[in-house]
Amino acid sequence: MQIGFYFNQSRCTGCYTCTIACKDWHDIKDGSVHWRRVTPLEKGTYPDVSLSYISLSCNHCERPLCSEACPAGAITKREKDGVMVVDQAQCLGKDMCEMFCRQACPYEVPQFGTEENPKMQMCTLCLDRFLESKKPICVDACPMRALDAGPLDDLKRKYGDLKDVEGFVCSAATNPSIIFKKRY
Amino acid sequence: MSELNSTEKIVISSCPHDCGGTCLLKLHVKGGVITKIETDGGEEPQLRACARGRAYRQRVYAPDRLKYPLKRIGERGEGKFTRITWDEALDKVASELERIKENYGNDAIYYIAYSGNTGTFLHSQLAVFRLLTMFGGFTPCWGSASFWGSLFSSETTYGTLTAGHTSDDIPNARFIIMWGWNPAETVQRTNTPYYLSQAREKGIKIVSVDPRFTDSAAAFASQWIPIRPGTDTAMLIAMAYVMITENLHDRKFLETYTVGFEKFKGYVLGTTDGPPKTPDWAEPITGVPAETIATLAREYATKKPSKLLTLGAPGRTAFGEQFHRAAATIAAMAGNIGIYGGDPAGFGLCPVGLQPNTSTGLIARKMPGGLPEGARQRPAIHITKLWDAILRGKEGGYKADAKMAYITNGNPVNQFMNTNKAVRAIKQLETIVVHEQFMTTTARFADILLPVNTQFERNDIVRPWQAGPYCIYMNKAIDSLYESKSDLEICTALAEKLGIKGYSGITEDEWLRSFWEDANDMSDTKPLPDYDTFKKEGVFKIKIGKPAISFTKQIKDLKANPFPTPSGKIEIYSKKLEEKNDSKLPPIPMYIEPWEGRSDSLIEKYPLQLITTHTKRRTHANMANITWLRTLEPQTIWINPVDAATRDIHHGKTVRVFNDRGIIVLTAKITERIMPGVVSIDQGAWYNPDKNGIDRGGCANVLLKDEHSPAGAFCSNNCLVQIEREFKV
Repeated sequence: MQIGFYFNQSRCTGCYTCTIACKDWHDIKDGSVHWRRVTPLEKGTYPDVSLSYISLSCNHCERPLCSEACPAGAITKREKDGVMVVDQAQCLGKDMCEMFCRQACPYEVPQFGTEENPKMQMCTLCLDRFLESKKPICVDACPMRALDAGPLDDLKRKYGDLKDVEGFVCSAATNPSIIFKKRY
Repeated sequence: MSELNSTEKIVISSCPHDCGGTCLLKLHVKGGVITKIETDGGEEPQLRACARGRAYRQRVYAPDRLKYPLKRIGERGEGKFTRITWDEALDKVASELERIKENYGNDAIYYIAYSGNTGTFLHSQLAVFRLLTMFGGFTPCWGSASFWGSLFSSETTYGTLTAGHTSDDIPNARFIIMWGWNPAETVQRTNTPYYLSQAREKGIKIVSVDPRFTDSAAAFASQWIPIRPGTDTAMLIAMAYVMITENLHDRKFLETYTVGFEKFKGYVLGTTDGPPKTPDWAEPITGVPAETIATLAREYATKKPSKLLTLGAPGRTAFGEQFHRAAATIAAMAGNIGIYGGDPAGFGLCPVGLQPNTSTGLIARKMPGGLPEGARQRPAIHITKLWDAILRGKEGGYKADAKMAYITNGNPVNQFMNTNKAVRAIKQLETIVVHEQFMTTTARFADILLPVNTQFERNDIVRPWQAGPYCIYMNKAIDSLYESKSDLEICTALAEKLGIKGYSGITEDEWLRSFWEDANDMSDTKPLPDYDTFKKEGVFKIKIGKPAISFTKQIKDLKANPFPTPSGKIEIYSKKLEEKNDSKLPPIPMYIEPWEGRSDSLIEKYPLQLITTHTKRRTHANMANITWLRTLEPQTIWINPVDAATRDIHHGKTVRVFNDRGIIVLTAKITERIMPGVVSIDQGAWYNPDKNGIDRGGCANVLLKDEHSPAGAFCSNNCLVQIEREFKV
């Protein structure tokens, strides 16, 4: 089984609630680290303007290049649910490595804080919450109900199988575990 | 309050700031510490909190929380203080109050309080209000930085502020105009953005009229109509012209329910006053093509029921009340009042749940024998005139010379207009007392600075910002941090030192119980749970079944249920205003050229129109210091590429924004999302002057003129500025 995310781009207003709820739940004090990132995508010329937002975390890819790139074997994929797990004790840290994981990731997901030799960190899909049968905190936080998470096959049945959306190209190399609904 | 296990408990609370939402927070508390925050996961409609609420843990545990009472040791504004004991601090405050009263009289005490807490029953500015009233009175402020134009219009036109629909009515409309309205950032009632999204998904056309392509325009609207700031009334009146001349107005509605339409019609058609107010007339004023205006009028009038949704922004202009009066008139012309899917374009309080204008739950009104009205009716100073009143006093025509400022629940130096003047004024006072949680712009000027706790450190009840079908019991989650106290605790101690009897005498819990037991105005929809049940459950949701909308009774039977206006009808023409005989406050809605608009000759010197906007990263000046929110986006000024190019300004670079009132320095955001000739700054960033008095914090109020509209609106959206590149020295 593979657990993944769903993002409805029509719904997102760019309010950052997902980003902050994630930082609170996982107690990420650092202002520069965002396990879930909201990015504005502005297009057009006045007055014909459009703006979309995209909210992304780790996509828990089917073929995680980050894991392959890690010289310390610190990034693994859980067999039973496909969730990516980082073992920070194994991670060499930003200053001791060239952030191979971040370079390998098509979405620049792996992040490093501002402390001395920061270890890699990224979305855990709120495994702690999954153990209590709860959705990830970002999903439960979204005031617009633009996010969902769960077994990817279930999500596909519910929402379809759209793999690309404005601001996101599905990587053939990694096959990210995320599906979308596009803007109106 | 429920126990998860022996060490962790969940406590229900809320964040009662002045953002527009009143959402539910579930605090995880372990060992006396809040460890995590969740939101409503219960029955729909869930009251899901936004980023501001979710970041609240960083506010409570912020390293810059004020921990102890402080006494100023440096110059005012320098921010140098020394720790003193509570006893010392309160002795000083009490003796200063007595000294000022004896030497100058009570009027010399200015009580300046604003919206730091909004909708709370107990902990708010009213604790101090009650104390100072019992002390013999004070000079209060009047007006609002938000909505006074809307308030005035709603009172004048409908005779009430309860002129709104709950947001679940949004998907019942067939056509929606969001006019200067950006609930994606301001929330404007919890769940409003969610309902707008549902409307869009249903295929309802939503149009945004705004100088900026806002997040709301992007997420909900299929059409953006950019309009020059301060000219909205002209466009509404031209829409009225189209509706009248194309016979799209609801004549039967107007005859039955309104007074004065013929007089308005005479003005619109130009038979009684000036030229005909055609779309061609409005085009050069508003910058909106005539055909766009005509089409919008036709759609609004024919795709009924339709909503014209407004809040404050277009009304925060030189003659802002005219915008709201015109909007209500258009709503009446379309017959969109008292029907599902319509909207009266009024003040917007929903006719359900606790109303903010009732006596329920306001500590100041729980005076023994009732609140002495005389004490409240002392000469009040409009918030935009506060600094002028302090500087010029009786000689300047104000009713009192200010000697002492008592400031709570707000950051007026930062948030009321003309910050540099505010600094000059506040330095002249003999005594300044501030209750605060942080070293804000205003707190830096205090002589005595008293640390206040947060809502998680005390019990309170909060109702929704614009009323609505729920109430939240904000259970105390943790003990007060450091030496902080609630305003009520501070005032109770002060009352004792001042020898005031009967200030409180009962506990926080007893106050709240008495308020809840008096909360009769909710009971016609559903019996209230008893106080203890409410406190235990934390939230009380009224199942309304269908949206709560204003004026259904009036529309059904006007004779039995007249509008609460002098005529008993919707007053397009107001006799009360006629009696004022003020050409700037006419009895019918009219377009009046604003000062510091495009027709002001000042535009040659300062060619850009500045609007000051609201951001999702703050609630006004609240949360401006919270790292998680600060780091989401920088504080910027939005500039259209056309205006940037002529000034050689580049995205992400620092610029100087200036006029005769001051200079601020901040980052340029070059964006197609704002119309040429207009720039915008999110208000609420904290003023941070350098040694030359240039603000490096990006505080928009430095640039604003300290003036209000004839009815009292805060004119934060008509201001002329120039911008230039900041060259690093």
